[in-house]
Amino acid sequence: MTWVQQVQDAREAGAVYFDVLTAVDLEADGFEVVCRLWDPDAKVEHLLATRCSREDPHVPSIVGVFAGAAWHERSVAEMFGIAFDGHDTAPLLLPESFEGHPLRKDFVLAAREAKQWPGAKDPGESDADLAVPRRRRAKPLGTREWPT
Amino acid sequence: MTYPVPDNSRGIIALDENACTSCMLCARECPDWCIEIDSHKQTVQEEGARPRVVHVLDRFAIDFGLCMWCGICIEVCPFDALFWAKSYDHAATDPAQMVHERFDLRQWLNDVPEGTT
Repeated sequence: MTWVQQVQDAREAGAVYFDVLTAVDLEADGFEVVCRLWDPDAKVEHLLATRCSREDPHVPSIVGVFAGAAWHERSVAEMFGIAFDGHDTAPLLLPESFEGHPLRKDFVLAAREAKQWPGAKDPGESDADLAVPRRRRAKPLGTREWPT
Repeated sequence: MTYPVPDNSRGIIALDENACTSCMLCARECPDWCIEIDSHKQTVQEEGARPRVVHVLDRFAIDFGLCMWCGICIEVCPFDALFWAKSYDHAATDPAQMVHERFDLRQWLNDVPEGTT
């Protein structure tokens, strides 16, 4: 079943409220585009997902089913670099000169590079102690070693 | 405070310095990296006991310009040193004024609802 058909069927089954469309960067496994719909009568949520490759990321647009998905698809297009077939996704949020797709996991966060992690200090240490070389320092959670 | 807010409101974060052991857990868990802690080690010699090393807090600052009011620091604190206080209205015209040091954080303990401390 195609992505658009899946969304269409859910809508016809009662999930008439379009909540959100976003994406997840699965790195080597490509991208997952996720869509949440809500059935207001049955009070049931529908979580739909589709995948696309990293090399040629594109999925069909669901704007024909939910016009309100247009903004979400434009946002996903610029944040993840995913194309939506049948939808001319103009940039939505980022400044015109912005380069790259900031929600991709390989996008280096400049703010995280520039700022010293406050947790690098151990109990009983201040900023001056960070100058002393140490074999093991605590590393920030949820961040990664960026390729230099 | 000028307007009544519910007890469970996330106004601002208060610090009980006496409970804080400078363990760094909050600073390390903070997703926004907005908590800065400086401390030093001090040896305490008590009568009839072996000398022991304690951590003395030198600086505790929260940058509320970065904070997103998630409350993770309050959740992870093993010593119940951090609390949600009802105090609000801390907007500033300069980002530097959004950084609140321990003196402010301590004073907000007065705005922590009864029963949570």
